[in-house]
Amino acid sequence: MTRAMLLQSLDAVQFAMWELHLYLDTHPDDFTALSLYKKYEEKNEKLICEYEEQFGPLYSNGDPGAMWLKNPWPWDLGGSC
Amino acid sequence: MFVYEKKLQYPVKIANPNPKYAQIIISQYGGPDGELGASLRYLSQRYSMPYPELKGLLTDIAVEELGHLEMIGAIVHQLTRNLTPEEIKRSGFDTYFVDHTAGVYPTAASGLPWTAASMQSKGDLITDLSEDMAAEQKARVTYDNILRLVDDPDVREPIKFLREREIVHFQRFGEGLRLATDKMDCKNFYAFNPSFDK
Repeated sequence: MTRAMLLQSLDAVQFAMWELHLYLDTHPDDFTALSLYKKYEEKNEKLICEYEEQFGPLYSNGDPGAMWLKNPWPWDLGGSC
Repeated sequence: MFVYEKKLQYPVKIANPNPKYAQIIISQYGGPDGELGASLRYLSQRYSMPYPELKGLLTDIAVEELGHLEMIGAIVHQLTRNLTPEEIKRSGFDTYFVDHTAGVYPTAASGLPWTAASMQSKGDLITDLSEDMAAEQKARVTYDNILRLVDDPDVREPIKFLREREIVHFQRFGEGLRLATDKMDCKNFYAFNPSFDK
């Protein structure tokens, strides 16, 4: 996958996870929602591995140095898609 | 402790710079109902929240608002690239430019710098959650107004995403308020403040 395709997939999966995360704050005992969250979490982990292998760390507590500093940053034109 | 994720929550890719749009949209960076105020409001209110569901909800929505602050910054940044002095004068962006060049600064569209006076942390959960619900609606209306003034689909798409998030947050805060009142004295919610009175 290209960087743009990987970012789009990450955006989609993480959006679903985040919606469920907020929902579970006010419905902590909804196990259907929790298992759906776990399903998306598996996909997310795979996508993060694939992204980081090609384009460097996604998180500030990941590997430092040249790959972390590599352009583009998210606010740059072409940085987020 | 916070960990930064090197991506936006929703993509921002604006082909055509437009300093007039930037001058309007900056209000959601540092205006009275903007994303900076939203995240600081929720981060600050967390400390006096008595119930775990509400501590979690305020933490999570505050963090998402920081992500929205970054999206608004990206929109303003991309709208103000490669400007000529003529474009700056013609668009009315000159009054912002003189103080900040093309830097992103937390201010309202009116020019009033971001102020903590536009938010509250009252230390009382019914008060704070009611403020939070109102804050989400005020932000939603601001996004509606931006959509009334902006035609470019590259700008409208991320703004529409942010507008929808305000509606989801309003819903979650409403559930949070109901959770809170379920745990309080059902005969008189105001009998005491569980954040302070023991």
